[in-house]
Parts: sequence; C-alpha cells; structure tokens
Amino acid sequence: MSALLEARGLSAAYGATPALDGLDAAIGRGELVALLGENGSGKSTFLKVIARIVPVGGGELSLEGRPLAGFPRRATARRIAYLPQSTELVFPIRCLDLVLQGRAPHARGFSADSAEDRDRALAAMRACDVEALAERDASALSGGETRRIFLARALAQEAEIWLLDEPTSGLDPRHRLEFLEVIARAHAERETTVLLVTHEIDLAGEIADRVVLLRAGRALAEGSPGETLTPDRLREAFGVESRIVMDDRGRRRVVPYAPSR
Amino acid sequence: MKATRAAGGLAAAIGLLAIAVVFGLLAGGVHLSPADLVAGVGPAGETARLVASLRAPRVALSALVGCCLAVAGAALQALLKNPLADPFLLGISGGAATGAAFAALAGLSPLVSPAAAFAGAVASSVAVAALARRGGRLDLQRLLLAGLIANAFFSAILLAVFSVASGQTARTMLFWMMGSLADATPGKALALAPYGAAGFTVLLAFAGRLNLFAVGEENAAALGVDVESSKRIIFLASSLLTGAAVAFAGIIGFVGLLVPHAARAVVGNDQRALLPVSAIAGAALLVAADAVSRSAFAPAELPVGAVTAAIGAPVFAWLLLRNP
Repeated sequence: MSALLEARGLSAAYGATPALDGLDAAIGRGELVALLGENGSGKSTFLKVIARIVPVGGGELSLEGRPLAGFPRRATARRIAYLPQSTELVFPIRCLDLVLQGRAPHARGFSADSAEDRDRALAAMRACDVEALAERDASALSGGETRRIFLARALAQEAEIWLLDEPTSGLDPRHRLEFLEVIARAHAERETTVLLVTHEIDLAGEIADRVVLLRAGRALAEGSPGETLTPDRLREAFGVESRIVMDDRGRRRVVPYAPSR
Repeated sequence: MKATRAAGGLAAAIGLLAIAVVFGLLAGGVHLSPADLVAGVGPAGETARLVASLRAPRVALSALVGCCLAVAGAALQALLKNPLADPFLLGISGGAATGAAFAALAGLSPLVSPAAAFAGAVASSVAVAALARRGGRLDLQRLLLAGLIANAFFSAILLAVFSVASGQTARTMLFWMMGSLADATPGKALALAPYGAAGFTVLLAFAGRLNLFAVGEENAAALGVDVESSKRIIFLASSLLTGAAVAFAGIIGFVGLLVPHAARAVVGNDQRALLPVSAIAGAALLVAADAVSRSAFAPAELPVGAVTAAIGAPVFAWLLLRNP
C-alpha cells in the first residue's frame, strides 16, 4: 500500500532553529497515528508543515506520492484540517462564523456563508455539542469551549485528513471523552486519517493504530502501540523510567515514575 | 441577524456622514445657517452659496482622506491581528509624508506628490517588513516595533528639515507633519478619488482572506491562503491608500486606529461589512473634525490632527473601558 502522506528526510526550521531534522514517516489512508515525543521534539512542527503553515526546509513531503507543495494551497486545505494547540482570539467573532471558516477553502473569495455552508457548520456544531454557542462571541469563551468550536470547524471542513495538536489538553473529563468520541466517529465512519499529537501516552495506546515516537526532529521509532510504548523506548524518547501495568479491565497502562538518571 | 446588523451599521454611517457634510458646509469663519443655503436667491443666499462652494471641495477632500485612512487601518488591523495597527503607527504615514515632502522640496509638480507619497509609503513598508523579517517570514510582533522605529526616523527627518528651513519650505514641512485640509481644491479631491477607489476595491476583494488573518496568520495558511503573497498585496493596497491620503492632507493620526474600532463595535469584525462601514464612518469623522478645526477658534484654525486626537482619545478610552 502506498502511503497517503509520506515524509522522507524532512527538515524544517524556524529561522536558524531547526525543528525537524531528517524525519521519515509514512501515514496510510484511514490510519489514526499518534505522534509522541518530548517538548521540542518536532511533533507540532510536523503537523504545521503538513498544514502548509511552515514551509518544507529540506527532504520530501508528499501527498499520494506527489510533493505536497505542488498542490494548490486551497486544494490541500480542502483535504487537510488543522486543529491548533491554542488560538488567542483578539477580535470578537461569532462562533458560527468561526466554524464557517472551515468552509472557506471551499468558497469563492474565502467567504463561505451560503445556506448549505451554514447547514454543514451547524450540523458540525451539533456533533460537537456546541450548537447552543452559535451566536456567542468566541473570544469570550473558555479554552475548552474554544477547542470544541475548532473541532466543529475541522468537522465542517470535511477534510479527509485531520491534524490534531494536543486536542485533549485543557478539557474537563466529560468533554475530553466527548471530544475523543467525535474523533473516533470521524475515523470510523468517514475513514478520516488522523494525526494526533499528544502527551497522553495511554490515550495514544488506546486509540492509535500506530505510534511514531519523535526525538530531536527525527523518528525514533514507529509501530503499533505495543511495540513502541515500551519502557526502553520511552526512556529513549522522554528520558523517563516507566512500568507497564494492567488496569482492572485488562488495559495496558504506562506509568512513568521517575526521570532517568 | 448579522446582515441586518451590517445594514444598520451602514445606514448609521451614511446618516453620520450626511450630518457631517451639512455641518462641514455651514461651519467655519463665516457661520451659515441651513436656511441661507436653501434660500438661494437674494444677497444672503448668494453669499451662502459662494462660501459653500469654497467649502465643498474641502468637505469632499476630507471625506476621501478619512475614507482612505480608515480603510487602511481596518485592513492592517485584521491582517496583523492587532487592534493597535494603524498606518501612522506602522510608519507608513511617515514614509509617505517624507516622500511627498521631498518631492515638494525638489520643486516637483503637486501632481507628482501622490506618486512620491506612495513611493515613500512602500519604501517604508518594505524597510519595516525587512526589519520585521525573521527566518524568511514576517514576524507580526516585530512588525509593530519596526513601525515604531520607522516612525521615529521619519519624524526626525521631517523635523530636522523643518528646523533648518525657512519661509515657504518650513510651512510646507509643517503641512506634512501636522496634516491639513486647508488647501483643498476640486482638482485635489478628483485626483485622490481613483487612488482611494483602487485601494478599497483590492482590499474588499481580500475581505474573506482578511477574516482568516484576523484569527491568525497560521489560521489563514492552514485554510489555504497564500499568506506571503496576500500580505504583500494587502500591504501595497494599504500603502496606496495611506500614500494618497498623506499626499493631499499630510499626516493625520487616529482616524485609521479609531474608526475601525467604532465600526467593529457596531457591525462586528466581518471585513466584508467592516471595510465599507469604516470607509463611510472615516469620511464622516474627518469631515466633522475638519469643520470643528476651522470653527472652534475661528478665524484661527486648529490642526485637524489635533482635533481627531482630541475626539479620538476619549472615545478610544471609552471603548477600552467598555470592552476590557
């Protein structure tokens, strides 16, 4: 099977500061891949390069075997949705308008507000339990509510690839679980390909088809959660000692207990 | 509901502009009454018409300058996701004034002045953007700092020339530094109109992209906007508007900062509504400010920039207190 997204020797930098340094990774169609690694290992940058926010500095990044940069920007924006780690809203914006921005790559002049666009946006908001916020000002919402608005936006974008940067951080337990349900449903029903950056090791173990461990801008290891989320690998990736325990439902749990010396 | 709000805002702005225009025609060294204008016949009516016909070009020029500055301010605020962005604060006005002032000092025809101001505005934008460039990308925070530096630099140049110059040259420099609409003619108003129309049309075409920029540059990129080329075009169009306004009226602060805020409070931040409403509200503000500048201490005239600041600062403070 040829990969949907493939990075070969991919590098990227913010000015003189390298963030990706020869990353190799392949993501198959319909896969849910978790990206794990310590702070600064390049996880978020990888998502930003795929979202075409950060340019490719070297190496190759291809979509269906063709260089991503060769596609018109709007065409890839229709196929790839990006959920930022956090967004500070400076200006007031109605939640519905923020969700409608997900329709922008589909619309003339980047202004989407046809009746059809509105219907899709509202349906997406319903699915994320934020329909009641439609007329509210998004810049006055809590961080968790804003994340859910952005998830609704990704849904409204109807993209086949989702790039989620720490989607569950800052959510209360109930909304975290609902959030994961929306992701799981999109993955199962629409065969959405998901790249998930997270620091929740157990979450990756639970929902990911595959895990890529990053360190210093390169892939340290990749494979099934069972293969990658081992004490040895985690020591290399995070510099922590950990043990594996089974919870009362027989699920594998990783418990980091001390920094490696 | 949103469309109603936009239409309401537009109607309110047009109403304000109409009031400002009437005020602008009547106010000044010779106070006229509306009846004088309507009467038309007889010496009183004749005189009134004569005075009004002298004031009309000034009202028209004020309206166009206010329009250009407000639209440039609105676009820059959205582009830079910064409510403090303004052609003056980013050093674009300073560059334009310096360009126009040197063209005037070199004895070039006043017809060249918009081109010189535009060149100055673009040169300043390019310099500011180069200073703000980090790692091949425009860093928006550094941009405001670079604007501050450019602004100080151009002020210093204008001030230095003013200090050593005398007579007509000094007056010319003072005009660029303080801003004035006193030399308005129908020709100037007609000359400014196409620049204003061109800049406004381009920015309105980019309104959808500006909405994405207002949430963030990364947001715009992720949603398919070619960020670098869009930024260049929006900067050029804003520089064109600023350069044209400065060429005919010198540096007038606060309009580009204040008007978009007031308009945003009424119609929200959708640039498709905000740009037109800002354009009309900007025209209304500057027409009114100019009328106040020539009637408050008549026959003496206040610098119109002082009036916009005097109106602007309290309103701005009120806006800040209202939306913490």
